[in-house]
Amino acid sequence: MTGTEESPRRMHRRQILAASAAGLAAAGTGCLHDDGDEDDDVDEARSDAVADAPPLGQPVTSSGVSWNDLGDLEGAVTVYSGRTADQIDLVFDRLEDRYPELTIDRDYNDNDTQVTQITQVEREDTPADVFYSQDPGALGAVADAGLSQPLPEDVVEAVPESYRHPEGEWTGVSGRVRSVVYNSDRLDETEFDSWDDLPTDIQSYATDSRFEGIIATRPNSGTFRGFIQAMMELEGEEATRQWVRDFMDQDPQLFTSGTDHAVAVNRGGDDDPIVGLGNSYYAARIINEDPDAPVRVTFTEGDAGALFSVAGVTPTVNVDSPELVAEFVRHLIAVEGQEYMMEDNGEFPVIEGVDYVGPLPGPDELDSPEFDLSEFDTELADARQLLEDEGMLPV
Amino acid sequence: MKPTELTDDLIDRAGSAVSGKTEDVSVHRTLLVVASAVVAFLIVTPMYWLVSEALEVELPRAVDLFFSSLDITVNSLVLMLSVTFLSIVLGVPLAMLTTRTDLPYPRFWSVVAALPLVIPSYVGAIAFVSMFGSGGEVDSILGYTIPRIDGLSGAIFIITLYTYPYVFLTTRAALVSADESLFDAARTLNSGPLRSFRRVTLPVIGPGIAAGALLAALYAVSDFGTPAFMQASVFTSMIYWEFENYNTPVGYAALLAIQLIAIVAVVLVIEAGIGRDEDASGGDARGSEIELGRWRWLGAGFIALLGFVTLVVPVAVFVAWIFRSEGDPIPALEFQMEFAFNSVYLAALAAAVALAFALPVAYYSGRTSSYLSRVLERATYLGFAVPGVVIGLALVFLGLNTFPSIYREGILLLVFGYVVRFLPQAVGTVRSSVLQIDDSTVEAARTLNSGPIETFRRVTLPMIAPGMVAGAVLVFLTTMKELPITLMLQPIGMDTLVIKVWQAHSAFAYRYAAIPALALILISGLTMLVLLRQEDAVR
Repeated sequence: MTGTEESPRRMHRRQILAASAAGLAAAGTGCLHDDGDEDDDVDEARSDAVADAPPLGQPVTSSGVSWNDLGDLEGAVTVYSGRTADQIDLVFDRLEDRYPELTIDRDYNDNDTQVTQITQVEREDTPADVFYSQDPGALGAVADAGLSQPLPEDVVEAVPESYRHPEGEWTGVSGRVRSVVYNSDRLDETEFDSWDDLPTDIQSYATDSRFEGIIATRPNSGTFRGFIQAMMELEGEEATRQWVRDFMDQDPQLFTSGTDHAVAVNRGGDDDPIVGLGNSYYAARIINEDPDAPVRVTFTEGDAGALFSVAGVTPTVNVDSPELVAEFVRHLIAVEGQEYMMEDNGEFPVIEGVDYVGPLPGPDELDSPEFDLSEFDTELADARQLLEDEGMLPV
Repeated sequence: MKPTELTDDLIDRAGSAVSGKTEDVSVHRTLLVVASAVVAFLIVTPMYWLVSEALEVELPRAVDLFFSSLDITVNSLVLMLSVTFLSIVLGVPLAMLTTRTDLPYPRFWSVVAALPLVIPSYVGAIAFVSMFGSGGEVDSILGYTIPRIDGLSGAIFIITLYTYPYVFLTTRAALVSADESLFDAARTLNSGPLRSFRRVTLPVIGPGIAAGALLAALYAVSDFGTPAFMQASVFTSMIYWEFENYNTPVGYAALLAIQLIAIVAVVLVIEAGIGRDEDASGGDARGSEIELGRWRWLGAGFIALLGFVTLVVPVAVFVAWIFRSEGDPIPALEFQMEFAFNSVYLAALAAAVALAFALPVAYYSGRTSSYLSRVLERATYLGFAVPGVVIGLALVFLGLNTFPSIYREGILLLVFGYVVRFLPQAVGTVRSSVLQIDDSTVEAARTLNSGPIETFRRVTLPMIAPGMVAGAVLVFLTTMKELPITLMLQPIGMDTLVIKVWQAHSAFAYRYAAIPALALILISGLTMLVLLRQEDAVR
């Protein structure tokens, strides 16, 4: 009894201590500001340096600005990327070709490893100027750790609010959508006559017994958790829990890599899944490699199954040359940057003034649920907990 | 008093009696102990970060993690024990076959039998899955389906195929440097082949088998890529699961990694008790070969089959990728000679440093059987048991908190990372050859008024040279195929062959995996040839 009585009291005291410490820190900051303390000013200045960097050419806008109207890029910028080299190297190469004085140092690694490396170990000492990720949750995690800094106002205003951090700590650069991936050669093995026989509601993929034993997904990705989180917000937690249970009753194959998942659907062996729930761009990339590949995508309508999400960038707290980083990000969301994302990756633009060109239905034709990514709980902790509770994770 | 201690003692006394060099000897011994201790300390320094992160975990969560990891602990133990057992079953007979029999072209078959080690097991797994199983190449070409291999048994199968060469190589080294007249003596004394194997051969090659089996066991338990690809749930899967959840403290993964280390520590202690300190010394007389007659073709055929499955299949799959693909070129993945150069450069440095680190530890623990020497030697194995990403992060921490200027600038930290991870391969092989040192020769040298350094250089060194070469080559080969530490610590933009294979895989552009993978196999194969030539030169 004594123990239980004591612990809240202790907690209470700690909270008071913490609060007063925070108060002291605040008072101290004010005081230091008055004194014009050098160190503190440098830190303050540095954390807003990118936001304060004036455009080297024209500012970017939502109607789309050409690279020709932007300032030149000179110097070295270090990019930590969770995206793969084939997806973004081309844009970087084009920038380097265009600006002989520019060097983009690229560090590619697994997305989650990059986040852990930055937020848990390197922290303020990170050599990265920019973190580039396919997962808003990962960008949010760097921001939440206080290791990002805001983008310039023109960048923030050029990107629709739903595709970026509310205060502009990160911005989406290209869009992708959750989709239904299937093997078009193997539909005759199923009870579906053709692709337009595939259901357009995500619910059916868990409850329709025709999917039993032939469906797959990759539950350990950030976008899958995003999909579950979206479903929780749209349908409620209980309905989502039921969806996961029903889906697990379909005896799905669960992959730990998006690549392996898409390759298995495409391969079409007897033991391979025929239908999968995954990101649309995997199929686009397989078809780019092999035009005869049987993999195809279709989309659900108006539910979490067609969640639209972005890949994007955040400047870190340790930016060496703020003007360069600011102008670099402007290039990514300018017209040419957006076009290369579509051509190279089969992704969607995030700038309203840039039209989508590509093999998939455009974002306007898709019926993705309306979500403000900036207000979306990017931690996805609830989704993860739910998936662990239901035994879908770890795989 | 153990035999080695006795001889050391004798040497000391003989030395002092003849030349009054007792002080010299004890000074050298102290230096040896200090050097071993420094190496062991350096290797365990990254563990500091693991422990400090793990201590941050709240107790209820720690208890929870412990209990939820029990079933995968069983899986990991099954994986480790099965791979070890199967590696011995494959590796020891192959070593006998290529050294002790009249097998035709023994060196060629030795290279074939050793070469699977150079292929990262996950690359093997990828090739296997696309080759066999329903929907695979074999199925679509021949219309004949070999059942798919996956799950825990699939992981055991694949990892065994790519790790048994540890046992093969260490056993082979032991056989090559053993006194073969012993085997003949046993047989002339009318001892049956099995009996002579058990009574004579086994004790001589025991330390070699044990060293290789331990490496295979540790590789199996710390491998993540292959079990993940085979969809098998093992301990490393759970470490990664906690690790990749960037919204929870990395301490969870650290705690699990420490649990894994604890399991491995038990294995290390048990293994230390199994026939490790047999004095395996002998002369270097040559014995006769076992005549296989027609059976030798069966032996050759078996190695050919193994080579086909482990080497030709992946290579064929890679080459098929080159010709099949019609996609747009991806400049980011184009092959450059620089990648091969970087791989070789890093691997050679890692091998040299590992050898320098391994020598004092292996020599000290091979020449004495004190508790301290055993602990120091075993400590160097810890890094090999921990998945690469975990060691990688620990080194990021270590680098930033000791010499931040070397972090991602230059290759010092990266090479140190390789050494932390792969040192036991050098320690194990050098130690096996130290155990084979013929004490009487050393003693003779010392009696002839040769100083300790002189004795080491002229007598000991030539005797342990095969072990040193083997150790350096093993470190070289595994560094060539290392991925997670390289990705985390390489100077930004310094790409290696394996990084390119990985990038091509994650981009679905397998055609770009082909050339770096083939370059990896070619360079590693040539290195392996150097090893085997050198070993055979001992004859």
